[in-house]
Amino acid sequence: MSEMSRLKFYCDEGRCIECDGCSIACAEAHELPAGINRRKVITLNEGKEGLEYSLSIACMHCNDAPCEQVCPVDCFYIREDGIVLHDKETCIGCAYCLYACPFGAPQFPREGAFGAKGAMDKCTMCAGGPLETNSEKERHIYGQNRISEGRVPVCAAMCSTKALLVGDAQEVSAIYRERVLARGHGVQTSPMTWSRAYGTK
Amino acid sequence: MANTWGYGAMTNSLGDIQNARSIIIFGANPAVNHPVGFAHFLKAKERNNAQIIVIDPVYTKTAAKADHFCQIRPGTDIPFMYGMLNIIFKNGWADESFINDRVYGMDLIKEEAKKWTPEKVADVTGVPADKLIQITNVYAKNSPGTLIWAMGLTQHTIGSSNTRLAPILQLALGNMGRAGGGTNILRGHDNVQGATDMGCLANTLPGYYGLGDGSWKYFAKQWNVDYEWLKGQFQSPEWMNKNGFTLARWWAGVLDGKNGNDKIHNGKTGLKALFVMGNGITSVAQQAKIKEGLDSLELLVLADPFVNEAAVLTDKQDDVFLLPAATQFETSGSVTATNRSAQWRRKVVEPLYESKPDQEILFELSKRLGFYEQYTASMKDSSGKFTWPEDGTREVARVIKTIGLTGWTPERLKKHTDNWHMFDQVSLRGYGEMKGEYYGLPWPCWTENHSGSPLLYNTNLSVKDGGMGFRNRFGLEHDGVSQLAAKGSAPKGSKVDGGYPEITRDNIEEVLKIKLTEEEKKKIGKNWKVDRSNIIAQKCMEAGIAPYGNARARARVWTFPDEIPMHREPLHSPRQDLAKKYPAYVDKDNHFRVDTQYISKQTEQNWSKEFPINLITARLVNMNGAGMENRASKYLAALSPEMFCGINPELAGQLGVRDGDMIWIHSPEGTKIKVKAKYSYSVSPDRVFLPFHFAGHFQGEDISHKYPKGTKPYAIGESANTVTNYGYDIITQIPETKGGLCRIERA
Repeated sequence: MSEMSRLKFYCDEGRCIECDGCSIACAEAHELPAGINRRKVITLNEGKEGLEYSLSIACMHCNDAPCEQVCPVDCFYIREDGIVLHDKETCIGCAYCLYACPFGAPQFPREGAFGAKGAMDKCTMCAGGPLETNSEKERHIYGQNRISEGRVPVCAAMCSTKALLVGDAQEVSAIYRERVLARGHGVQTSPMTWSRAYGTK
Repeated sequence: MANTWGYGAMTNSLGDIQNARSIIIFGANPAVNHPVGFAHFLKAKERNNAQIIVIDPVYTKTAAKADHFCQIRPGTDIPFMYGMLNIIFKNGWADESFINDRVYGMDLIKEEAKKWTPEKVADVTGVPADKLIQITNVYAKNSPGTLIWAMGLTQHTIGSSNTRLAPILQLALGNMGRAGGGTNILRGHDNVQGATDMGCLANTLPGYYGLGDGSWKYFAKQWNVDYEWLKGQFQSPEWMNKNGFTLARWWAGVLDGKNGNDKIHNGKTGLKALFVMGNGITSVAQQAKIKEGLDSLELLVLADPFVNEAAVLTDKQDDVFLLPAATQFETSGSVTATNRSAQWRRKVVEPLYESKPDQEILFELSKRLGFYEQYTASMKDSSGKFTWPEDGTREVARVIKTIGLTGWTPERLKKHTDNWHMFDQVSLRGYGEMKGEYYGLPWPCWTENHSGSPLLYNTNLSVKDGGMGFRNRFGLEHDGVSQLAAKGSAPKGSKVDGGYPEITRDNIEEVLKIKLTEEEKKKIGKNWKVDRSNIIAQKCMEAGIAPYGNARARARVWTFPDEIPMHREPLHSPRQDLAKKYPAYVDKDNHFRVDTQYISKQTEQNWSKEFPINLITARLVNMNGAGMENRASKYLAALSPEMFCGINPELAGQLGVRDGDMIWIHSPEGTKIKVKAKYSYSVSPDRVFLPFHFAGHFQGEDISHKYPKGTKPYAIGESANTVTNYGYDIITQIPETKGGLCRIERA
C-alpha cells in the first residue's frame, strides 16, 4: 500500500481546546481500566498568556515503529494500512517499547501488591487485535474494532472542534493544507509530531 | 436585553459567528462550556482571520485561543465598556446613521462615556490604558463584530446593567441586525432557552406574558379552564399578579425572616415544601443558608436521575423523597437551542427501572392534587384523548404569540430534525426540500409557513424571510421623543417605510393600509399577542410588517433605578475607595418577595480588610452545572477527582501554601471550605478560582455517608457556593457569584 493511503493521526494545536472529549470517548468505548490512558490531552504552559497550547496524543502508528524494533518477544505487527498493533497474549510487559516510543504511548496496568506490570496496552486506532475480528474475546482484550466496520476511530469522531483528525494520509493532509492556507499567517510545512512519527518524506 | 429592544435572547446563531471579523467575549468561556459551539469561533479565526478578544478575570481556555486578552477586575465591565465607547465616540467610529434612525437615548450614553477616559478605566478595571485603546481599535475597525457573553456578565448585583451596556456598545457600532454581528448570549445548559420561553421564571407566564389580569384571562381561555377557578387556586386574587420567589432565594422564603434573615412578603406563612426537578442545588449561591432552608422544610421532593445533593446537604430525616426521573434519552419532544431554534428529540430507550419522564411525574402529581382535568384540558380532542408530546407542542404553538411560536407545529419540527443535513451550518438556510426555511425555525416564526428568523432585527430581509426591526414594547413616545424607528429603516419590502407601532385590532387597517372583512373583524384578537385567529400575523406577512412593530432600541430604560447603566462596585469590593465613589443601590424591599440588601451590606464593614482576595467561581469542561451525573462517571470524575482552588504561585508563596496543600477559604458570610490548593497561572495573585461542581463535603466535614447506598459519586468535595458571597441583581435577583471576596489560610 502506498504511503499516501496509510492511516495517520493529526491533532491541530490551533484547534485543540483540551476538552478531553477524545480521551473520555476512548476510555468509555474500550472500557479501559483506571490508570490506562490510551489517549491523553497534554497542555503546555497552562495559564501563561500567549504560550498555552494543548495537543491530544496517543500512539501515532509510526513508520518503522520503534516499539516494534525493540520488542524482545516480537509481539508487534504492522498492518498494510499502517496501523501498529500488538499481541497482548505474547507481550511480557518488559516496557522496552515505552523507552523507545517518542510519544509515551504504551500503558501498563499495575497489578498486585508490588505493582508488577501486566501486558502493554495502547491505542489500536480502534482496529482491535490479532484475534478473530469483532469476536467477544477481541473486544475484551483490545476494545472495539470500529475500523472493520468502516467507522472512524471514536476519539476523532468525538472531537468537539475537529482538531483531531484520522484517516488516509492524503485526506488528512488535504484538510491540514486547507486550514493552513485559510489561516493566512505563515505556512507550516508539516504538523507537529509528524516528522518524528512518519519521517520527513 | 429585552428592555433594550424587545427580546432577551441570542440575536444571531453559533454558526453565524463564522461571519464575524472580530469577536469580543465578556465573561464567557465557550472553549470550556460550549466546546462544540466553539468550533465556529475557531473557524471564524481560521477562515476570516477574525480577531478574538477575551475580557475575563481568568486566563481561560478561550483566552488561550484569543488574539487579545484583558485580565479585568471582577465586576468592572461597565467602566471597561464605557472606556471603549469613549474611544469610539471620540474617534468618530460610531455608526451615527444607525443611532439616529434606530436608537433612543444614546446622547446620555455619550455624556457618561466622556467621563471614562482610558486612564480612569485603567484605575478601576486594572486593564492598562494602552490595552484598552488597542482592543477598541481592533474591535471597532474589524466589522462586523460579534459580542459574546454568559454568566460572567450577568452574575453581579449590576448584572442587568452589564447586559444593557453590551447591547448599547453593539448599537453604537451599528453591529445589530447583521450577519457576523449581534449580541450572542451563550445559554449554559441544554434547552435553557426553551425553559425560559415556557415560563420557568418567577415573574412571567409562559412566553414572557407579564403577570396581569389580561394575561391570566387569555391563558384561562387558551387552557380551556374557568378564569374564576384559576383565581380560586390563589390564597387571594392579588397574589396572582405578584412575582414569586426565585431559585436564588427560595430559602429565604423558608427561613421567614427569623434569626436575622431577610424579611419576606409571602401570604401568611413561610414556604413549607420544596419540589426540585432537575436543578443541582450545589450550583446555587449560599449553601449554608440553603442547608438551613432545607432543614426547616416540612416536605422535600427531589426528582432527578441521580441523587440531588440537596438530599445529602440536609440533616432532615423525614419527609424527604427521591423520585427517579428519566433522562432526556428516555422521552421525546422539542427542545430550544441557544439561538432560538427548535429541534425534535426522539426517545432512544424506554425509561429504565422505575424512572418516569418529567411530564408523567407532573401528570401524576396533578392527579393527586386534583386538577389533572384542568391541567390537560386544552390538549384533549373531542373524545377526551391526547398524545404527548405532540398535543403539548400544538398547544404551545397555538398560544404563544409574543415570541412567535405559531409556526412550531410538531410536524414541521420533526421534518427539520430529520432533514438536518439539508441546511447550511453558517446561515441555517435550507436547501432542496427545505428551501425557504431556516434550521429549527428560530423564533419568531410568525405563521405555519414562516421561514423562522435566524438574525433578530435584520432589516435587510423582508419579514416573511425572517427580517424585522426592533420591537415596539415601551410605548410610542418618551419625553416627547418618538420611540418608532426613523423613515427608511423598515425591513425590506415593507408597506410602511419607517417606524410603526405594534399591530392591534384597532390600528391594523390604518397601519397596513388594508380593509378587513366583517368575518375577519369578528375573529381577530385585541392585539397581535392575543390573536388566536392569527389574522394579524398573516396580514402582516402580506404587508411585510412585523406584528410587534418597528421601534427604536432604547439605551435609556426609564423604569430602572439607573436609567442608563452606571458602574457600581460589588457589595464586597477589594477597592474600598471606589466603593465610596461608586456605591451600591439602596436596599430593595420585597424583591421577589424578599427584602434585599445592597448599600447596607456594602457598608456594613470594610470587607476587604479581613477578606482581601477576589473569589471567582466557574466551570470545568468535564462537568456540567452541579456535576451530579458527571461525578458519577468514573472517566469524567478521573479528570478532576477532587475539589481544588486555583491559586497563583505568587499568592500561595505569600501565604506559605505549597502546590497540593490543603487550605481553608473563609467567606464574609462566616462560612468556610477546606480544599486543595492547585498552582495556576490562569489567575492573577489578587484572586483565586473555584470550580462549583462539587458536593459531599460541607465546611470541612465529609457528609458523603449520607448518600443512599450505592449512589455516592466517584468525585466528591466542597461546594464553592458555600463561600460565595451575599449579593443579588437589582432586577433579576441572579446571585453575585462572580465577584465576591475571601480569605485564605493554611489548613
